[in-house]
Amino acid sequence: MLIPRKVAHRKQHHPNRRGAAKGGTQVTFGEFGIQALESAYVTNRQIESARIAMTRHIRRGGKVWINIYPDRPLTKKPAETRMGSGKGSPEWWIANVKPGRVMFELSGVTEPIAREAMRRAIHKLPMKCRFVTREGGAA
Amino acid sequence: MSEVRIAAEPRTEFGKGGARRTRRAGRVPAVLYGHGLAPRHISLPARDLLHALKTDAGSNVLLTVELAGQAELALPKEIQRHPIRGSFEHVDLVVVRRGEKVTVDVRIILVGEPREVLVDQQMTTVTVEAEATNIPDSLEVDIAGLTVGAGITAGDLELPSGTRLVTDAEYVVVQGLAAPSAAQVEAELDAAELSSAGPSTGAEPSTTDDGDSGSGETGRE
Repeated sequence: MLIPRKVAHRKQHHPNRRGAAKGGTQVTFGEFGIQALESAYVTNRQIESARIAMTRHIRRGGKVWINIYPDRPLTKKPAETRMGSGKGSPEWWIANVKPGRVMFELSGVTEPIAREAMRRAIHKLPMKCRFVTREGGAA
Repeated sequence: MSEVRIAAEPRTEFGKGGARRTRRAGRVPAVLYGHGLAPRHISLPARDLLHALKTDAGSNVLLTVELAGQAELALPKEIQRHPIRGSFEHVDLVVVRRGEKVTVDVRIILVGEPREVLVDQQMTTVTVEAEATNIPDSLEVDIAGLTVGAGITAGDLELPSGTRLVTDAEYVVVQGLAAPSAAQVEAELDAAELSSAGPSTGAEPSTTDDGDSGSGETGRE
């Protein structure tokens, strides 16, 4: 699973969820992509789960790109704990995804296979997404 | 390469309020500049612009911008689109002259179907220098005979006459990779599933700050 090797601060504030993606809104590396339509925190487990779902469907052939990285920690206080006594311990690693961001890309497969693989991957993600193709591409 | 005529109107109101009013009226804010002329702020009909950019030339379409009784040849320099809706936010147009050489990015289209090879396309466009009125719509690369380990570089591309390659000729455009066997894919996925079935956070990364003590040294799993 994706985890940063080293971080400046173990415990951070919650990332801002407002606004739209400023970059990474086009399919750049592959032919097909999954684009976020809502903002969400995507955990490293969800990213890995989506990747596995996609790879299982395309089997051999095809290449997958992951364009997001879970570099923000979220903390959680233990259950039934009184308030105070400092911030909780890191619990999740998340990528702060804004609407418009292309999170996964795929190439080397036909469009029907890519659509089905990405439909399965979208079910693993916590926000509304859509299938997109590269502008001016063969697809 | 086809030319598309498009009627422009001069723009008098600026800023985000004016730009939004322009967009609501079905027009796209744009700017026309180049050849030492002062920039001219204009608006273009969104529908006509969409049709122009959907031609075979794509974003290299040669536009004849009709403005105040004059016609200027122009090429789109930068197209800003809404990240979700895909509608045009703003267009930069650069004035060109007939016979003038311009540097543009041209799409690469792969043709043919190689056997038992995973096709890895490293470049989707290539930068070329061509006459403004004679820009190739796309460059076709035949990959039918691509084998594992072999690659096609930018220098191998067949360019139309009058077109010169600007991209480094040694850049790899497409290469053939060995496709992993079904057993390899299955083993990799099983290993990935096992590792993700562990504790929710995994090991904690080390920190570089002084105040907050990080626990443990780890890398990526």
